[in-house]
Amino acid sequence: MRPILLQGHERSLTQIKYTKDGDILFSCAKDQVICAWFSANGERLGTYHGHQGALWTIDIDPSTTLLASGAADNTVRLWDIRTGKCIKVWDFNTAVKRVEFNDDGTKLLAVTEKRMGYLGTIVVLDVKVDVEAEQSDERSLVITCDESKATVAGWSYLSRYIIAGHEDGTVSQYDAKSGDLLINEPVHEDGGQVTDLQMSSDRTYFITASKDKTAKLISARDLTLLKTYPSDTPLNTAAITPKKPFVILGGGQAAMDVTTTSSRQGKFEARFYHKVFEDEIGRVKGHFGPLNTVAVDPLGRGYASGGEDGYVRVHAFDRGYFDFGYEVEREMGLVGKR
Amino acid sequence: QDRIEEDKEKGAIVEERRRVLSEWLAWREKEEEELKAERRELGLKEDVEEEEQADGEDGGGAVVE
Repeated sequence: MRPILLQGHERSLTQIKYTKDGDILFSCAKDQVICAWFSANGERLGTYHGHQGALWTIDIDPSTTLLASGAADNTVRLWDIRTGKCIKVWDFNTAVKRVEFNDDGTKLLAVTEKRMGYLGTIVVLDVKVDVEAEQSDERSLVITCDESKATVAGWSYLSRYIIAGHEDGTVSQYDAKSGDLLINEPVHEDGGQVTDLQMSSDRTYFITASKDKTAKLISARDLTLLKTYPSDTPLNTAAITPKKPFVILGGGQAAMDVTTTSSRQGKFEARFYHKVFEDEIGRVKGHFGPLNTVAVDPLGRGYASGGEDGYVRVHAFDRGYFDFGYEVEREMGLVGKR
Repeated sequence: QDRIEEDKEKGAIVEERRRVLSEWLAWREKEEEELKAERRELGLKEDVEEEEQADGEDGGGAVVE
C-alpha cells in the first residue's frame, strides 16, 4: 500500500469525504480552505475559498453536484462543485461542527456548537439539488440538545432517523420528521466524547469513534450495540470498509510527549480491525500527528486519512488486503470473490 | 498432550468464530429483508441502486462478505 501524499493544506485536517463513485476526494482543514483531488493520482482539481474560519466539516450530495461545508465562522455554505462558486450561505449563532446530506441529497443536517448562552443544536436545511435554484433560508427542523451537546450526527436509512453522538459519550436516535428524541444510549464511557460517526453504505448501522479509546458498531434501527473495537489511544475517527468486513480507526495522543525522533518516523497509525470478529488485523503508519479523519472509497478500492500534521494520505488497497480472510470465512466461501 | 490441548483450544476458537460469523450474517439478512419491506411500503424500489448492491456483495448479507 504505497500512499499518495496530498500537500495542499497548511493546517490540521478536519474531514475527508469521497464522492459516491470514489473518483474525487474532498478535504477540509483549519486553514479555511476546501480542496478537491483526484483520488487515483492525487492531482488537485480545485479549491473552494470563502470561509472566514477553521473548516470543521464537509459533505457531497449523492449526485456530486453540491458540496456543503460548516466552519468556525458560524456558517454553512453550499458550493457548486464544478465551478467552485458559493451558492448559499446559512448563518448561525455558533460554529458548525458537522454537516451531512441524507441519501437523496434533499436534506442537509448541521450540528451547531454550544457556546455563550447558546445550546448545541442539530438543524435540518432543505436543499434543492440544482446549482441554479434559489435555496431556502428556512430551517425545516431544529433539535436542541439540552442534555449534552451533539458533536457529530448522520442520517439513517430512508432518512427515518437522525443519529447523533454527544460530548458525554451517549448516542441518540431522533425522529427525523418530528425531531423527537426516541432513544439515548450511554454507548461510550461517561465523558468519552463521540468524535466521529459514519454510516454503513445502506445506512442501517454505523460506527462511532470516541475519546474513551473505543469504536463501536451500532444498529441505526434501535441503537443495539453490535461490536466493540478497543484501542490504546483516544480515537478521532472511524470508518466502515465496503467490499471487505473491516473497520478503520484513527486517533492518537496529542504531540506533547512525542519526542522528535519518534515523530520523525511518522508513527501515527490507522488501525484496521475485523468488523465481525473485533480483532485488530493491521496498522498503517505514516502521519506525523494524530489522525483526525479517515474516509473509505465507497467502491472499496482504497482509503484516505487526514492528520493533525496537515497531510492527506491516500492509499490504494493491494492484493493482500483483498485476499485476507479468516479460515471460517473461507469455509463459507466469503473470501476471494471480488 | 500439549498438542492435544492446543488443538482443542484452536478448535474452540474456530467454533466460536463460526458462531459469531453466522450470527452476523443472520442479522444482516434480517436487516436487509426489513429494509426491503420498508422500501416496498413507501412505494420505493426494493433494491437500493447499484451502490448498495455492490455493498450487498460485500458488506453484508447472505451474499458474500
